[in-house]
Amino acid sequence: MLLNKRNNSFVNSILIISILLGCTTASAQEKTMLLKNGYLHTGNGDIIASAAIGIKNGTIVLLKNSLAYSHSVSDWDTIIDLKGKHVYPGFVAANSTLGLTEIDAVRATRDFHETGIYNPHVRSQIAYNVESEVIRTVRSNGVLLCQPTPRGGVISGTSSIMAMDGWNWEDATILANDGVHINWPNSTQRMADNRAIQEKSKDYGTQKQELYSFFEAASSYASTKKPEKDLRYEAMTDCFREKKRVYFHADDLQQLNDIIDFVQYFKLSAPVIVGGYDAALVARKLKDAKIAVMLYRPHSLPKREEEAVNQPYSTAFKLQEEGVLFCIQNEGDMEAMNARNLPFLAGTAHAYGLTEEQAIAAVSLNACKIIGIDKKYGSIETGKSATLFVSDGNALDMRTNNVTFALIDGKIVDLGNKQKDLYIKYKQKYQQGIK
Amino acid sequence: MKLFLLTLFTGIGSVLLFGQDRPQNGVAPSFPDAYILKNATIIVSPQKTISNGYILIEKGKVKDIGNILLKPANAVEIDCKGKTIVPAFIDLDTDLGMQKPPSAERRDRTPQIDSKKEQFFSWNDAVRPEFLSAENYKTNETDNEKLAKAGFGFALTHLNDGIVRGTGSVIALGSHPVLSSLFAANVSTHFSLEKGSSRQTYPSSQMGSIALLRQTLYDVKWYQKHADNATVNLSLEALAKQLEKPIFFSTSEALEILRGDKIAHEFHLKFNFYGSGNEYQHIDAIKKTGATIIIPAHFPDAYNVSDPYINMEIPLKELKHWELAPSNPYLLASNGIPICFTFGKNKSEKEFWTNIRKAMERGLSFEQTLTALTITPAKTIGLEKETGTLEIGKIASFSVYSENPFEKEADLLETWTFGQPKLYKEAAIDGLDGNYRILVENKTYNVDITKKGSGYEGKQTNAVKKEYEKVAVSVSSNDITIQLKDSINGIIGTILLHGKINSKVGVFEGEGTDVSGKWVKWNAIKHKKIDADKKNKTLVTDSLYKNKIWFPNMAYGYDSLPKQQSYIIKNVTAWTNEAEGIVKNATVIVENGKIHYVGTGNFKKPVNAVEIDGTGMHLTTGIIDEHSHIAISRGVNEGGQSVSAEVSIGDVVRNNDINIYRQLAGGVTTSQLLHGSANAIGGQSAIIKLKWGYTPDEMLVPNAPKFIKFALGENVKQSNWGEEQTIRFPQTRMGVEQVYVDAFSRAQKYMEEKSKGKKDSHRVDLELEALAEILNKERFITCHSYIQSEINMLMKVADTFGFHVNTFTHILEGYKVADKMLKHGAGASTFADWWAYKFEVLDAIPYNASLIHEQGVVVAINSDDAEMGRRLNQEAAKAMKYGGMKEEDAWKMVTLNPAKLLHLDDRLGSMKVGKDADLVLWTDNPLTITAIPETVFIDGILFFDRKQDLERQARNQKEKARIISKMLESNNSGGEKKTFQPTEPKFFHCDTFGEEGSSEHNGH
Repeated sequence: MLLNKRNNSFVNSILIISILLGCTTASAQEKTMLLKNGYLHTGNGDIIASAAIGIKNGTIVLLKNSLAYSHSVSDWDTIIDLKGKHVYPGFVAANSTLGLTEIDAVRATRDFHETGIYNPHVRSQIAYNVESEVIRTVRSNGVLLCQPTPRGGVISGTSSIMAMDGWNWEDATILANDGVHINWPNSTQRMADNRAIQEKSKDYGTQKQELYSFFEAASSYASTKKPEKDLRYEAMTDCFREKKRVYFHADDLQQLNDIIDFVQYFKLSAPVIVGGYDAALVARKLKDAKIAVMLYRPHSLPKREEEAVNQPYSTAFKLQEEGVLFCIQNEGDMEAMNARNLPFLAGTAHAYGLTEEQAIAAVSLNACKIIGIDKKYGSIETGKSATLFVSDGNALDMRTNNVTFALIDGKIVDLGNKQKDLYIKYKQKYQQGIK
Repeated sequence: MKLFLLTLFTGIGSVLLFGQDRPQNGVAPSFPDAYILKNATIIVSPQKTISNGYILIEKGKVKDIGNILLKPANAVEIDCKGKTIVPAFIDLDTDLGMQKPPSAERRDRTPQIDSKKEQFFSWNDAVRPEFLSAENYKTNETDNEKLAKAGFGFALTHLNDGIVRGTGSVIALGSHPVLSSLFAANVSTHFSLEKGSSRQTYPSSQMGSIALLRQTLYDVKWYQKHADNATVNLSLEALAKQLEKPIFFSTSEALEILRGDKIAHEFHLKFNFYGSGNEYQHIDAIKKTGATIIIPAHFPDAYNVSDPYINMEIPLKELKHWELAPSNPYLLASNGIPICFTFGKNKSEKEFWTNIRKAMERGLSFEQTLTALTITPAKTIGLEKETGTLEIGKIASFSVYSENPFEKEADLLETWTFGQPKLYKEAAIDGLDGNYRILVENKTYNVDITKKGSGYEGKQTNAVKKEYEKVAVSVSSNDITIQLKDSINGIIGTILLHGKINSKVGVFEGEGTDVSGKWVKWNAIKHKKIDADKKNKTLVTDSLYKNKIWFPNMAYGYDSLPKQQSYIIKNVTAWTNEAEGIVKNATVIVENGKIHYVGTGNFKKPVNAVEIDGTGMHLTTGIIDEHSHIAISRGVNEGGQSVSAEVSIGDVVRNNDINIYRQLAGGVTTSQLLHGSANAIGGQSAIIKLKWGYTPDEMLVPNAPKFIKFALGENVKQSNWGEEQTIRFPQTRMGVEQVYVDAFSRAQKYMEEKSKGKKDSHRVDLELEALAEILNKERFITCHSYIQSEINMLMKVADTFGFHVNTFTHILEGYKVADKMLKHGAGASTFADWWAYKFEVLDAIPYNASLIHEQGVVVAINSDDAEMGRRLNQEAAKAMKYGGMKEEDAWKMVTLNPAKLLHLDDRLGSMKVGKDADLVLWTDNPLTITAIPETVFIDGILFFDRKQDLERQARNQKEKARIISKMLESNNSGGEKKTFQPTEPKFFHCDTFGEEGSSEHNGH
């Protein structure tokens, strides 16, 4: 199950735990666990060089400096020594199609793009495939939570926050229907690929006006006591009651400015911009308007020729400097399978300005804040869920990222996947000299 | 129509004879046979202008020209005082009156693999030399007149469709009582790289168009010698004859001129090029071609730049081109490149002249301008004996202007076609300019009258109020009307005057009405002359624009190309990729573009070497990307056929792709630009160094080994191309094997016939030539592959035919057959961790590179992606995570190993004395996430440096602001402007089909 041979003692201890608990997938975790001596990146910017993390019923109940914490072996059911290893909060793949797609080119496996233009009622939660092989490869790099998000149309649908382990979508759900996703119309003629064809003929002003009208109607529906039921408006209702977020997918300066007006006009709470290519140019305004940003994939090319070659690498740093709440996400080409590289997206942002701990926060606590699950997730603090992982070295560096242990809500996650199986199978083939 | 020419110039018979063969309804039209035009400024030729000259025209040609001529009895005399006579211009690029052959319906979306033409024509619908322009010409007077009004007397018309376009014919543009407008039939030949309206699948790329044109020319050569009844081909027959005529090659950008020139060379032909207007960006290379360039007398409109949000989307290159395009004619001409002007996209004669004068303002002399409009085009089309100047004996086709149109805005008064006039505008009496005292009843008005175009305008110099200043003046033959504003006894109104002109004494007199409507008498006396020239804008030439060209002419281009230098890099951690491994505190010396020294001992310091302190930094050789699709023009796939070995990416390398610079900034110094994977046997590749700013030819690695792309699997069998694409063979992996067996069987047979036959007796087949090179082990294969079955299959086919697969690229199931690959001798160039994007990569694993490497196969990590290409160091490092590869081995996967796969490891890939100095200085261990390339050298030339990069960013911004401010001036002064339409950045991927890049997802 585990591949790292350099740490045999550690491997053994994990194996023992697995046997003790008799689980590899999502069984109830009733007992207590102590992770000690690990180099802890809490996710909120802090470091504890040698940490003692106590877990009970899936919740972190103790967080101390190992050196200052004395205990007897009987205090904990399981004690794991993580000396020399790094501990991180579970990373979050925000705005992703994980669990909604398996093979990009095979239409039958694509479950993220519904037909129609205004689809707030379409929900990703129920299409989430917990058995996705893609998910297994992603979580084995430390990404443990995700936000499966519908694509396409003007309102593409409603996302949910899911654990990347579970028996079914119900028990994998961390937060159902967290928000509605809007593809803000394009201010220039350039059309996003995921825009419905019908929209292409309309100009920006008209499309924007239609969104205003839709929100006006939805808002008035929301304030009506017993309205005649409308699926779309019904799905929007929580957006006007501070229970559901509105995510605006947009990149250009014009769009971002118009979105600022829009959220203020409708008094939307905790609005989020997804993409935000030009966000650094209006960072102050976004901060003042309390709009968070799920930043576009740093591993992308600059949009405009004369822009800095490393602009996508360094936008995160600019937002950090300006005090905008942001996280890093991975929408784009092959986004589901590429979600396993989320740690390295953060790593690149670190290379181009963020501190290491800021970069970690950009894929953990910040994402949870933006989504609205930070009370329980995103950092390793007492009272929070034990959703974390252990890496041999710096998890943000592909050279040293080697995830050997992970918990979601205190449950041990199976870090095996089909690719590791094939690796072992063929390694054995060559070792045995089978031709 | 050549007959017409002959008779006219041998002087047999009179012009009237030419109507003879056609029955006449009534008496034939009457018109004078001879004219004498006098007192004109006659621009005889670019070198010779006669003022106050006479020109005698007889039977359609110039009989005599001089300062004073005797009037023959039969000649009609015309006084042209003050007028300028300009020889008729010649436009070599029009499609006037061309009746386009019907094109196929677009309704059917299934691919058309075969030609719609009969067997005895070319097999390709884009090759139509059988199209004869004269036979398909229909006079369109409106279009002809549009050009005539701009001063053109002749135009070459041809079909603008297809790669081989048939003939061109010369049209006489003006009107003549009896002559037809067709002047010289089928006198030129026309080529392009644009497939045009053909719906046939082949060619689907520019490199395919190039290959098709070359193959067609080889076929003609063969056909001329070996044709018989069995092989009759009317297309080849037509083209054989046309190759003796002047050839015109259409281009859409300057690089295509260089591409066309290579074809011209190969076949010992002389091409004239229809340019696009950006030739100034490649002056030196174009000069070397020695070709004549026909360039549009039209320059890009300004963008509307009032909105900074939109301005940020306008690429700097567009702005720079807007600024520099009017200098294109000057920069070409001043470099000795023969140019012709074509009317091009000008909407009116006014716009045409504005643009001509714009070009002159940028330094193009009068002589150069007129030469480009007359003599050069005449020579190019072989009509210099008949046209181009107004020398004695030439055709009397010319235009008469109110002024010299090259100096100032002038009105076209008449056009003369073969000695017959057509009047456009009556000239006003000349010489009325002056200050006049107009006496109306008892009141005097001082009015300045000045010439404007063919008319006059006036200004009241003693007006009581500013708004009374303007005076309308209109002159028609000998009459003048004047409208003055005044206030008399509190009545504000207009005084309307009409009178006769006595120009000799400068007096007008007549009657009119005053402000109250009362009938009055008036007269005017010229008081003094005004210096008219003061008011006219004289040409200010600015030839300094040359210094504003960047290399390439876009963001991050160089002001001047960086040059080789000697460098000493000290105290650096050197990743040698040699037995020494990673050497700390090393010194590396670069001299003459090569690595001169690597070590920690004593060294001799080269003279003038630049010293770089590498403390804390890592120095490596440059990254080599075995699989890249950047820097390619118009199509990465020639997917029109399953076998397209004849096409070559080397033909279409483009040096102005911003991704060259971006990848350079990521430490890449060499890339193999591969054909895509749309067909089983793709095209030949190009290996380039990312020498940003240099020309495509300079970027190509000299004497690089030859490569060709093969492909297997889903792309080849068109699995993900939609339901219409189910016709091309193969549609299964079973079929793919047979494509190879068939292709190599044909190649074997071809080689056999070639070796048996006499020299030049076989028909050169470019496709089979390339396959023969594979069989002769002169060309290596890089094969796109995923599934173990197909990988195994190709190696077996190769074994059968005795060739070898050099590299399997992608090779995501290579880990399953690494032992077989080792045995075959194949290398692997793979992705670090990609999978799940299509069905055939379901078993892809990120441990692939490590597993294959462990079996002893040479493994490289490639990009196949413009974005990933700039952080291949990160991708290499993933092998340490997946499979525990050693650091040095991981690094070799993006440096030494690809060099080995490309058979360039004798020059590239490691830090060894004598190898190319392609080096990257990193801020950190290059395999760590924090490593950033600080400085990048290629051949000992510093191409990228982070500090310089920052400066260039600032310079980009400044340059943009400068030009936008200039553009705003143009916007605000009423210049033409258009709204910028941004387009999504487009890229070529393995599976991108057609000449345009794609903004779709990468399908690999």
